[in-house]
Amino acid sequence: MRIGKIWRHLKILVWGSVILLSACATGSDTYIDPNMDFGAIKTIAVMPFTSLTRDAVTAERVRDVFINKLLSTGAVYVLPTGEVARGVGRAEVQNSAAPSGEEAIKLGGIIKVQAIITGVVREYGEARSGAVSANIISISLQMIETQTGKIVWTASSTKGGINLWDRLFGGGGQPMNTITEKAVNDLINKLFK
Amino acid sequence: MTLSTNYLNKALILILSGVFFFSVLANAKEIKTETPPSGHTKFCIAVFPVENISGTAAPLKEIRQIVIEKLKANRFDVLDEGTLEVFMAKHRIRYTGGIDREVAKAFKQEVGTDGVLITTLELFDDTNPPKISLIARLVSTGENPSILWMDGAGLAGDDSRGLLDLGLIEDPKILLDKAMKIILDSLTSYFSTKTEAEEGNRLKRKFRPKVAYRSPELGPERKYVVAVLPFFNLSERKYAGEILVLHFIRELRKFNNFEIIEPGILRQELLGLRVIMEDGVSLANADTIFSSLDADVIVSGKVIYYEDYQGGGGRPKVNFSTVFIERKSRKVVWGSNSYNEGDDGVFFFDRGRVNTAYAMSSQMVRWIGEKLLGDHQRVQGGKRNGKKGKGTE
Repeated sequence: MRIGKIWRHLKILVWGSVILLSACATGSDTYIDPNMDFGAIKTIAVMPFTSLTRDAVTAERVRDVFINKLLSTGAVYVLPTGEVARGVGRAEVQNSAAPSGEEAIKLGGIIKVQAIITGVVREYGEARSGAVSANIISISLQMIETQTGKIVWTASSTKGGINLWDRLFGGGGQPMNTITEKAVNDLINKLFK
Repeated sequence: MTLSTNYLNKALILILSGVFFFSVLANAKEIKTETPPSGHTKFCIAVFPVENISGTAAPLKEIRQIVIEKLKANRFDVLDEGTLEVFMAKHRIRYTGGIDREVAKAFKQEVGTDGVLITTLELFDDTNPPKISLIARLVSTGENPSILWMDGAGLAGDDSRGLLDLGLIEDPKILLDKAMKIILDSLTSYFSTKTEAEEGNRLKRKFRPKVAYRSPELGPERKYVVAVLPFFNLSERKYAGEILVLHFIRELRKFNNFEIIEPGILRQELLGLRVIMEDGVSLANADTIFSSLDADVIVSGKVIYYEDYQGGGGRPKVNFSTVFIERKSRKVVWGSNSYNEGDDGVFFFDRGRVNTAYAMSSQMVRWIGEKLLGDHQRVQGGKRNGKKGKGTE
């Protein structure tokens, strides 16, 4: 009788935990156009990223890492940044970090790329909570197909930040370069999945 | 039982103090005595005024005077001051960081100089402990100027403190003398053996590029003529782009596969062609440079950080990205991101610590050369010979 009561309580606890933990799960932050043939993309232009942080250079740092990581996959060729800048000038793109559909089509024709990638660095640097601090990075990217000017892929990634370990034992989190690489790897995995 | 424990404790203390003592001695470096030069008295050298890219005031005239005195002491034939001044005024030479084709030709024809010694001051910090970084190169004169020899030294007063700080250098003049000695010993060695001095430092794995792409189109057996363009400077350090160019020239020269174009010639061509680079090299710019200089590869990049620190507390930081564009394919054949700090991988007693951005970037750039030509070929000493050698770990 008593064992049965304990067993019932335990079952309620387990199911309650499952329900509560499922609430913590995040929805997908990736959009992939189901009609897009990503295999057709051979050359990509990575546009200058927008930085929403205080330091404008951060966008350039993240862009550089992203370009080299993307190149190192061997799946696509990434155009040199100087060639992208020349194309932006010739296509008269108003805002190179966020080109319109028409501008993307025009740019794609000039620099001969099948897609362009734009990005926003939302957070880069130290996050502080009480006496604890740790490095954090948050990036979101989108890919525009240059034939139609449509967005075919978007994804975002956040790495670093203050975790339970940092709160309990301190430590200051991981170096900025390490979490930048992690975030970029995460985005590339989302692109090729 | 008590007696044996006491003996054990004493033995342990003795061993530990021995280990500590020898680890301290390991940091102290041997001071070499000057070697007499030979066989280079007929080679006439013009010593250009020192180019200062340290971003700070420095005793440039004194440094140049030391260079001239040491060259003369080593029995080099140095072009006299008056003739050099008249020549520089006649040809309106203001830029002393390199020589172009016309100047090189005029040096040979008008004053009979065989080479021009170009000295660049990268860092001069006289706060205690002092720090100095110098890079020098000897460029031939005549119709086709080329870099004959290039070396440098990046030293900090506390590089090898030794036991009870006996190795600590507090006087900037002593440190400057030490740096000059390293450079001029290397130059003397070049003239006596016709090969460049061997690199003393082992390449450490921690300085490898962190992100790298290498195209299969890059052939490790081919010889490439390389033009190193100034890097875009996104750092707070003035002239960081120019500093990194010198490191790339110095380190890539150590590989037989690369022939580097004298930066003075490249500068003159870029000015003549009115090449304006926004956010990197465009393919149109690259084509112009390839055809005018007959180069096979263009090297460019961005410097994110290039930081040295003042005094005793701090660490240098270097962070840069590199791009190699090849002529035939018109494509990026190498792309990498390198970043390091002076105390990377340092856990005990500052062992392995690097005190200057110079020393760190030299290794970081040499790793790029290593990776570019494939891991199967190794650098032995200063020159690549294709055999597995002591250059890398």
